[in-house]
Amino acid sequence: MRAALDEHSIVAITDPAGRITYVNDKFCAISRYSREELLGQDHRIINSGTHSQEFFRDLWGTICQGHVWRGEIRNRAKDGTLYWVDTTICPFLDEAGKPLQYVAIRTDITRRKADEAELHRVAAELAEKNKELEAIVYTVSHDLRSPLVNVQGFGKQLNRACESINVAMASAKDGLVPVDQLKPSVEGAIPQALRFINAGVAKMETLLSGLLRYSRLGRVALNIRPLNVDGLLTDILAAMKFQLDEAKAEVRVDALPTCLADNTKTSQIFANLLDNALKYREPSRPLRVTIRGYVQAGQAIYAVADNGIGIAPEHQAKVFEIFHRLDPDATPGEGLGLTIAQRVLDRQNGRIWVEATLGGGATFFVALPAIETTPSLS
Amino acid sequence: MKQGPSILIVEDDEGHAILIRQNLVSAGLENRIEHFRDGQAILDFFFTRRDRANETYLVLLDIRMPKVDGIEVLRRLKADPKFRKLPIIMLTTTEDSREVERCHQLGCSVYIQKPVDYDRFAEVIRRIGLFVPLLLVPPLGVP
Repeated sequence: MRAALDEHSIVAITDPAGRITYVNDKFCAISRYSREELLGQDHRIINSGTHSQEFFRDLWGTICQGHVWRGEIRNRAKDGTLYWVDTTICPFLDEAGKPLQYVAIRTDITRRKADEAELHRVAAELAEKNKELEAIVYTVSHDLRSPLVNVQGFGKQLNRACESINVAMASAKDGLVPVDQLKPSVEGAIPQALRFINAGVAKMETLLSGLLRYSRLGRVALNIRPLNVDGLLTDILAAMKFQLDEAKAEVRVDALPTCLADNTKTSQIFANLLDNALKYREPSRPLRVTIRGYVQAGQAIYAVADNGIGIAPEHQAKVFEIFHRLDPDATPGEGLGLTIAQRVLDRQNGRIWVEATLGGGATFFVALPAIETTPSLS
Repeated sequence: MKQGPSILIVEDDEGHAILIRQNLVSAGLENRIEHFRDGQAILDFFFTRRDRANETYLVLLDIRMPKVDGIEVLRRLKADPKFRKLPIIMLTTTEDSREVERCHQLGCSVYIQKPVDYDRFAEVIRRIGLFVPLLLVPPLGVP
């Protein structure tokens, strides 16, 4: 019986005071103490500090009264490793009902506990992603319906124009073209309707291809490696030289920390931020962009600051929304740049945010995992 | 007052604005119709530019617009005692229940999803229009 039990479980026996009088090999193996080290000690030797005094008071209260206690306990092995055990403690009583000894039978559930924790983390992450997805579906459905309303509405206008052409033709005598009656349809209603239908279809096409581009980001393989951001910016600035010179822009790049990231994707993010600085510059003053960087709490943080038109406080959260455009008439674009930047950074354990005032320029911050250069305290 | 209130269309999509205007006209409405391209333009009109005294208005308000959106326009107009009784019809592409509820809470008269049935729509406007003469907006400068 005992051999079978020893084969399956971690077993210990203590005297009524809690001193260990017996441990099996599995107990020694998981706690990494030798039998000699354990015998005569109480279980505080493997206490991990995870559970409250209340927890152990309840345990002792239960078994002192002769009841079986069941629960999950996290213990600390001799080398500091933490392990979880599913525990059953059975008190053995004398004839007077006083405890003679306690037999504790345990099963290692460390793996299960780790899985549970991981499950919780993933569930929370999924809930977050779901909320994001809902917001995107909402926005996209609205933005797609908008051109659809034009296609439908002007389609009906085409029907009406057709009807009035039919009426005009039916009343035409001797095969003569009733020019005056046809003119409003042929020169007014029909070209107008076609213009809006074509524009609506083109708009839907743009939105759908943007949406596909966004959805593919989740699948593209990232090549995460140490990234020299100084060099990366030198290349971007060289590629954008023409537009920057044309805007008489002055870009200053301070010494920047290296980070862990995908070269191509990160390059696109900085190019997009510089492109935004150009698009949203204040025409009355020459564009000045400063790029600084520092390391904080394991993150390399890059700040791209411009002196452009800035962003009103109520619009700052919206700039990351899919297809959101602050001023669609004034600047070209599809409203995807910052949304994509945010998604790509998210996949690289990074982050993007903005600090800005209306009229006072904007500073976009990009955070990516830093390469540790000094030993961290933890 | 045969014409009824002036209809102010607040709509950033030029096509939508044209469709609304053309359909209201072909449904037989003879009201004056004006188009504003975004929320800021209508706020400017009511708070600074409105020059015709003793005119009545009915606002058709889109929600998703750049700069100032329709919800914000509704909130600001309804927060001002001068415009609290101004009839405002929300005219929008989505029918999100939370958004509908929010607009009703803020005091919109009707919430309609595009594309609309324009005959019924014109009827709604006619009926609201019958009551509008009672809801004169005081001219600018009157506290």
